[in-house]
Amino acid sequence: MLMTNLNVVGKRVLRQDAYEKVVGGKGFPVNFSLPGMLHGKMLRSPYPHARILRIDTSRAEQLPGVKAVMTPKDVPQIPFNPIFFMPAGSMGIHRDMLILSDTVRFAGQPVAAVAATTVAIAEQALQLIDVEYEELLAVFDPEEAMKEGAPEIHVGVKNNIRDTPSFSAGDVEAGFKDADYIFEGTYETQRVHTCYMEPRVCVSDTDSNGHITIYSSIGHLFGLRERMAYVLGLPVSKVTAVQAPYVGGSFGSKIDFAYIEALSALLSAKTRKPVRFEHTRYEDFICNARHPMKVHLKTGIKKDGTFTARYASTLCDTSAYSTHGPEVILVHAYFGLMLGYRSPHMKWEGTVVFTNNMPGGAFRGYGAPQAAFAVESQIDEICDKLGFDPIEFRLKNTPRQGDPHPFNPEWKLNSYALDECLNKGAERMGWSQRAKTGSASGAKKRGIGMAAHPLWVSGCVGFPDIYEHSGAIIRLNVDGTAYLSSATMDIGSGQNTTLCQIAAEELGLAFDSVRMAPGNTDNLPFDAPTHASRVTYSSGNAVKVAAADAKKNLLEVAATVMEANVADLEVRDGMITVKGSPAQAMSVADVVKRAESPFMVIGAQGPAPTTLKEKGTIMGISSVAPPANASPAVAEFVEVEVDTETGQVKVLRAVYAHDLGRVVNPAAAEGQVEGGLQQGIGFALMEKMLFDPETGACLTSDFLDYKMPTAVEMPSKIECIFIESNEPTGPFGAKSLAEACLIVPAPAIANAIYNAIGVRIRSLPITPEKILAALGKL
Amino acid sequence: MGITATVPGKVHITLKVNGEEMEVSFAPYKTLLEVLREDLGLTGTKHGCELGECGACAVLVDGAPLLSCLTLAIECEGRAIETIEGLANGPELHPLQEAFADLGGSQCGYCTPGAIMTAKALLDNEPEPSSQRIKEAMAGNLCRCTGYQQIVESVEKAAGCCRHAERVKA
Repeated sequence: MLMTNLNVVGKRVLRQDAYEKVVGGKGFPVNFSLPGMLHGKMLRSPYPHARILRIDTSRAEQLPGVKAVMTPKDVPQIPFNPIFFMPAGSMGIHRDMLILSDTVRFAGQPVAAVAATTVAIAEQALQLIDVEYEELLAVFDPEEAMKEGAPEIHVGVKNNIRDTPSFSAGDVEAGFKDADYIFEGTYETQRVHTCYMEPRVCVSDTDSNGHITIYSSIGHLFGLRERMAYVLGLPVSKVTAVQAPYVGGSFGSKIDFAYIEALSALLSAKTRKPVRFEHTRYEDFICNARHPMKVHLKTGIKKDGTFTARYASTLCDTSAYSTHGPEVILVHAYFGLMLGYRSPHMKWEGTVVFTNNMPGGAFRGYGAPQAAFAVESQIDEICDKLGFDPIEFRLKNTPRQGDPHPFNPEWKLNSYALDECLNKGAERMGWSQRAKTGSASGAKKRGIGMAAHPLWVSGCVGFPDIYEHSGAIIRLNVDGTAYLSSATMDIGSGQNTTLCQIAAEELGLAFDSVRMAPGNTDNLPFDAPTHASRVTYSSGNAVKVAAADAKKNLLEVAATVMEANVADLEVRDGMITVKGSPAQAMSVADVVKRAESPFMVIGAQGPAPTTLKEKGTIMGISSVAPPANASPAVAEFVEVEVDTETGQVKVLRAVYAHDLGRVVNPAAAEGQVEGGLQQGIGFALMEKMLFDPETGACLTSDFLDYKMPTAVEMPSKIECIFIESNEPTGPFGAKSLAEACLIVPAPAIANAIYNAIGVRIRSLPITPEKILAALGKL
Repeated sequence: MGITATVPGKVHITLKVNGEEMEVSFAPYKTLLEVLREDLGLTGTKHGCELGECGACAVLVDGAPLLSCLTLAIECEGRAIETIEGLANGPELHPLQEAFADLGGSQCGYCTPGAIMTAKALLDNEPEPSSQRIKEAMAGNLCRCTGYQQIVESVEKAAGCCRHAERVKA
């Protein structure tokens, strides 16, 4: 049963950093500086595929103010993979990047770096570096890249095919024979960028012992430390990564190593001065992006509306380097394409291909938005063609609460309320009054559409070789407050506030009695990155365990002082009472004071010596892996208006229903939904990175050319329905929220457009050009 | 011939920032954004693109919202510059700051100073804007976290508070 007597969890508390941010936010990494700091800049290749024959840095080195120049020969040639969530030396990842390499594989790859006394001098120095390149043939289209005779991007990788993962259950051919109907379609998604607002930035400092300390905007403290040490060939204990109190957005992007972190460390080690790098917006755009995917679906259906066979194949452009490609395609396949809907026979085949495009990265949803666009669009096609109700059809083919978890049958779907998401969302939207497809009259046609995502994650548990454990430290203060320390990075969503709520609830303290105390990799226990919708569930569990540990220690001291049994004590709102006799009470502050007192305390009966048992700072610690990977469930309904004369689409209304187990902070939860819809509308209707077909140069590297929704493109109302199914393995029943908010909007919008104009568009973004062409008007 | 840095001589002027006269020397090509952040230590103003496209660097100059990344600092001599640092009166926050904090108008918070300054210019000129008018006024301030709903609600709430304060004063 959902606990209802909670004091802090579920309350609309003020974010702990809210007032700091509205006065200007001093704590952003971009504001960090050290005395005597140098400024670094990178020289980038204009060619997408080239060998460097010669680099002459002599003129740059003579420029007054230039303190160091780095070229490939000056950096350790240790191949690495930038993704933080797997160990740097993992067997499961391909290591094919270098800090600086004499082979260039995408336009904009850094080839040299400079540290100078000012940014202007560093920029001037770049122009004085002479690089002689041997241009090589480049290939940008993944299908072209696989053909015989295509340029070889990595030595020994035949036809540029990095990986060909697959998955099969049952006999898919037999399943198609059983089908009454077969549906086939190909669905394409584009390369989109996270567009975090704070640029990537870092400052590295080297002390006289060669110990490196790095301050950065990255979303994984321990990943940063590990990758830094790995690429520099140092033990991890020689690197300290310092936690920023908050970061200006990541949406997945900042769980990767960029080039700047290693270069700042190398330049700092060489000059023995702090070295700062900050990306320009162009550099941020070409740093990493969502992988474009082409998904082919073939689906067998029976007359009763159940699946007989589901086949899918995915072509993923992993770009110039492996980075996330081999991982993102697995999450895409299991949690995006295949496991959400039941079928007796299933088969999936993936192809991960190298091209000379910019690196792929993590972006909220990690392969699932590409999958959901395909699956949820096709379900809409099936329902439309065969006359099934899209909600009943989904309910008939999805798992139910209590079923084994489709990814790992050893877990159960303990809490799982997709049915409520679908039914409540439909009711709020007025789904039953939805007009027949294409029946709207006039030039501006309205339509309603929906999409679900039946299976998603609350972390990465179950995937091999992926970091998943979290730790926390709680310390009680003599004033009755607590400090919480966790290496979780608050990348903007309010993670720190959520974790403080969980700690306060468990400790029995008021919300504002718990404060997040930032630390660094020297004094914090390990935590996995802020990714995979994991923080509330996975880090939250660790915080709850640490808080329970601190509470146990607190009550042991209290029991001695109060001459009571630990089992009879409870803490609420900062007071410890004996159950059943509220008059016997003592404040948490007084108990902590007693524990911290060196010799004796003055009680009502006069001075009394403290016992050894009572003495010592009251603390709690934890380092635990989450017990499972609880699945949220989600459905989104949208209403759109399509102008059939201009092709413009306006999203008028959105209803988002999500089973997140338990709402910890309603305001933060609503913010996730609303921000996810902004990114989802962008993905569905307008965002697309474009590149020069000859040179591979990014043509959309600023916000004029890369269009994302502004305030006027958003619907006037976004309605959230949160369903609290109370996950027994989650902290106070909580599961996850963040990524699903961006997984469902694009297919819901595509289905609404179909409902409005009767035309199906199977490639994103659905631009006015595509709509007018589909309507035969272009 | 030796290699020399092309550093032009500095200008020395007085800028009036948040009501205070501040003497400052800087290279004449520097933008107002750079001078505020680097030479005056006013790091509340943020930069998201330095191309005039994201609105994070918006400040008020003579009451009008201006993108400080596209404005040369030397052009601002003698003009009244307002930044996020000038909005609160000690610990007492401006109604816009209160509303953005209370209603979740600030998530990651990076676009917040520019958004608040743009909203201030709006409310100073139009005390009772419709929500559509707020959206239009804020359309030059990009935000990737909030979906703008809580920003618009924050501005609406602040408008109500400002009007209330005006009535009390009257």
